[in-house]
Amino acid sequence: MKVTLVSRSGREFIKGGLELNDSATVADLQEAIHKRTKKFYPSRQRLTLPVPSGSRERPVVLNYKKNLKDYCDGNENSLTLVFKDLGPQVSYRTLFFFEYLGPLILYPAFYYFPVYKFFGYEEKRVIHPVQTYALYYWCFHYFKRIMETFFVHRFSHATSPLSNVFRNCAYYWSFGSYIAYYVNHPLYTPVGDLQMKIGFGFGVVCQLANFYCHIILKNLRSPDGSGGYQIPRGFLFNIVTCANYTTEIYQWLGFNIATQTVAGYVFLVVATSIMTNWALAKHRRLKKLFDGKDGRPKYPRSRRSAIACSETLVASSAGAQPLLSPRLWLPRRRSAYSIVLYC
Amino acid sequence: MASALTLLRRLYLSIYNWIVFIGWFQVLFLALKALKESGHEHVYNAVEKPLLLAQSAAVLEILHGLIGLVRSPVSSTLPQIGSRLYLTWGILWSFPEIRTHVLVTSLVISWAITEIIRYSFFGMKEAFGFAPSWHLWLRYSTFLLLYPTGISSEVGLIYFALPYIKASEKYCIRMPNKWNFSFDYFYAAIIALGIYVPGSPHLYRYMLAQRKRALSKSKKE
Repeated sequence: MKVTLVSRSGREFIKGGLELNDSATVADLQEAIHKRTKKFYPSRQRLTLPVPSGSRERPVVLNYKKNLKDYCDGNENSLTLVFKDLGPQVSYRTLFFFEYLGPLILYPAFYYFPVYKFFGYEEKRVIHPVQTYALYYWCFHYFKRIMETFFVHRFSHATSPLSNVFRNCAYYWSFGSYIAYYVNHPLYTPVGDLQMKIGFGFGVVCQLANFYCHIILKNLRSPDGSGGYQIPRGFLFNIVTCANYTTEIYQWLGFNIATQTVAGYVFLVVATSIMTNWALAKHRRLKKLFDGKDGRPKYPRSRRSAIACSETLVASSAGAQPLLSPRLWLPRRRSAYSIVLYC
Repeated sequence: MASALTLLRRLYLSIYNWIVFIGWFQVLFLALKALKESGHEHVYNAVEKPLLLAQSAAVLEILHGLIGLVRSPVSSTLPQIGSRLYLTWGILWSFPEIRTHVLVTSLVISWAITEIIRYSFFGMKEAFGFAPSWHLWLRYSTFLLLYPTGISSEVGLIYFALPYIKASEKYCIRMPNKWNFSFDYFYAAIIALGIYVPGSPHLYRYMLAQRKRALSKSKKE
């Protein structure tokens, strides 16, 4: 069959188009494009069905596993597709490794090296036990994340744009340094012993729970990397869609209760809002996909996405609903379980 | 019920816009008067009261956006109003030594002309339902000159205020304290200067795009 490729501005992308087998898959097409253009390897290509101009619909992105025939209109043996270059891509593993490496190295630097000399403080300082435990806790956390990246998480086919490496590293490395500066400061004021123990204890429990959540999520996907979505079940997933984010958020809360710095709490707020956004999106996506039709199971109604109150704050600040909309504030039916995780 | 609310909204916004317009008109008038009669060193003292009032009233605009009273997104009004309030309260009001600088005059005049045009434009639309095309043109064209003059004045004033900021230790929080937090207003000012570097071209480009959109739309009508 003949495949014509156009850019988003309508210009023909490959002169004369490409000729492929009738039984070819989208992946075959991507290979063919890569062969012709050298620069655009498959993970850089975004192929969509053309959308009529003026239409507000989101274009349908082609699935690399499907046959090209599935996207052809009726009996036609030709296809016109829109090509977009997603820019240089890196695998998620690479991205995660570099963003987590920063905090793992920078935080101990503030603990072990005489960094504060450059900020005008004397070299001599007293190290409180909580600062040492915080170091272990923090490093364990990021070491765990790196291990999970290589040995637990099953990423779907997706890669991430190279620009995200710079953006994400800036986020993690800056916040890591910001927090490390204050927790390891020569003039750091520790909290009481009980508060420290409660904070770290709760944090460790949440980190273990978080690990278990990752295991559950891993088992939803097959090892061949075909990705896809399933309804997560069991453990905290019965209450919230993104129990992995919930446990991660509470784990940081534990760290902050123990170390008590404004920097740490600022990070908690920012990280919570980011994860809540993701959780809302995933929750919506799963509810839409698992609508109970065509043999698909129906997504459980009573589940919240991650943490209820932060959802509403994030949704309203994102402009989804103005803060004074009555829908936002009237009580909704809740299951008994969901009360547990309301903050 | 719905039309009564719309009417109330229009009434409130008309009153708001025209009152703030009068405030900024006062600022411009008093500034030019002081400049002519006493020189640039005395401009701040002449305009202080209406300036503080008119600029602080802009906080209400964030509220308007949040509750959906106006269409402008909070994300674009917040940085704009933020920088204005920072200059007004955080630099001029807080550090009297900078008030006699000549850049105060250029700042106040740039802001005043821009705001007079802007508030009267919205005042017209809310009260009378339309605004003449020359008014639209003014609103989307004067920024071409006034943004550079205003931004340069803002950056200049922050820069020249730095020695006074450092010496006074005002708004600084030092360690040790219960919340293990510190804040240095001097370094924050330097970071603020840094933000102007990418921020200003971004804002200017945004306004150019807005101008293209607004002026071509009015041509089509």
